[in-house]
Amino acid sequence: MSNLISKKEIERLAYFARIKLEKEELKNAPKEIESILQYIQKLKDINTEEVEPLFHFPELTNIVREDQVEQTGEEIRKKMMKMGKDKDNYLKVESIL
Amino acid sequence: MTIKETQEKLRKKEIGLEEFLSQFFSRIKERNKDLNAILTTFEDAKEEMEKINKTLPLYGAVFVVKDNILVKDKRATAGSKMLEHYIAPYDATVVEKIKEKGGLVIGKGNMDEFAMGSSTENSAFGPTRNPYDLERVPGGSSGGCAVAIADNMCNAALGSDTGGSIRQPAAFCGVVGFKPTYGTVSRSGVISMASSFDQVGPFAKCVDDAHLIFEAIAGKDKKDSVTSDIIKKEKKGSIKIGVPKEYFVAGINDDIKKVIMQAIDKIEKSKIEIVEISLPYTEYALPTYEIIMASEVSANMARFDGIRYGLEFDRPFAKTLKEAYLENRGEGLGREVKRRIILGTYALSSGYFDAYYIKAQKVRSLIAEDFRNAFNKVDVIITPTTPTLPFKIGEKIEDPLSMHLSDIFTATANLAGLPAISLPCGKIGNLPVGAQLMADRFYEDILFEVAKKVEKIWKN
Repeated sequence: MSNLISKKEIERLAYFARIKLEKEELKNAPKEIESILQYIQKLKDINTEEVEPLFHFPELTNIVREDQVEQTGEEIRKKMMKMGKDKDNYLKVESIL
Repeated sequence: MTIKETQEKLRKKEIGLEEFLSQFFSRIKERNKDLNAILTTFEDAKEEMEKINKTLPLYGAVFVVKDNILVKDKRATAGSKMLEHYIAPYDATVVEKIKEKGGLVIGKGNMDEFAMGSSTENSAFGPTRNPYDLERVPGGSSGGCAVAIADNMCNAALGSDTGGSIRQPAAFCGVVGFKPTYGTVSRSGVISMASSFDQVGPFAKCVDDAHLIFEAIAGKDKKDSVTSDIIKKEKKGSIKIGVPKEYFVAGINDDIKKVIMQAIDKIEKSKIEIVEISLPYTEYALPTYEIIMASEVSANMARFDGIRYGLEFDRPFAKTLKEAYLENRGEGLGREVKRRIILGTYALSSGYFDAYYIKAQKVRSLIAEDFRNAFNKVDVIITPTTPTLPFKIGEKIEDPLSMHLSDIFTATANLAGLPAISLPCGKIGNLPVGAQLMADRFYEDILFEVAKKVEKIWKN
């Protein structure tokens, strides 16, 4: 059977998903992902032309509420800031462009 | 001893509080170095217990909670390096509820990273081992919780189940594990994996305890917009249990088949009607699950970028934010998680979306319809929980497809949103075998009624 996905495609998908793959991972990923892709081809046997997709269950409806502003505790904020690089009470990250 | 029996003894002071709690802590101390079931122990729990009102329904329930469920001011790693130092700023709704009702949390259970796995080998903090055989896996992804119950490190636990992550480890460790109807239990404060499947549920020593815990955590929550208070009770006369023939064919271990068949015979001899049924789309369930699960995983995992979560990473080489994301996610996420994100990104990408994601959602409709038809004929369905016995550590880790096949009998309940429970029904050698009972959506009452009867039959 011919391959459904190439190493190059996997590299591209990983880049889109913002995942750096280690050398070892990149070596094994094509084979591992290919085996799952081959397995799911089974669904092609079923004719689903007349079938509606099941995105959610009919009994369940959204719970809607008004937006409420709640004060995040200063303590939590401090804890979060302490975990990152912060400057003047802002989190510092790398440049976007 | 059930939680209710424990309660009585504590209330009548037949057991002292100090003595009661230290049995769990000393068990953890003694056994966890071999089993690696608990990631964090709460030493301050002893003081908490003294403050709990003795009349509350969960008084005497001592919990280990899976590490993807938030407990305020405690570490929540979800088994990932990405969250190694993450401290939860609030309680998950389920934790709030068990605390309100008198339960006590004493620690966090090891798990496959972000609940992705069927063996608890994918934890960044090392694999958990099966107490029945230390060379074997406890199942997963909630392996730590299943082991904690089986090995008496606690008498109650909360796990999460996306494709079998409560029921499969419960079967492998000889305990009871229950996945509620989709929408009955809040997931607020639970780290998401695949949001149209994820449910929180209990592990317990017996069905009574699982029922008690379920009632404490169920109910509508404004913080989880798909929750509801629906309860359905109407029966169709005397109880009928269906045996789907498709669950006894390809891939099932012959010994397991034999044990389950004997267990079903015992039920029939106790004058409960057993009917053969058919669920024709069963063989398509796991491929359908694979596609939808990976798609939802790829979306849910986007938040773990090392900035919003996992801030502790040092990124000396990253000059731009894009490089930082690549580095952080490359460093912080494990192999299995990366594979699923890549597969999900593929299934959702332009050109493949209809062929994979939409197709799978359509087949999901057919699988739900299979169950609808079956539940017109029977009240409960019985199947094996797993196709194999607990396997050896390392046996399947290099072959993701064979690992995923561990969920072949459990993922169907997640696809159709059904309540499903696994309970011990026998042993092969020293290793436990689990049977699964499923009911129609929101028919928890009937499922528990039948599970209690069946448990009694198998124990005698």
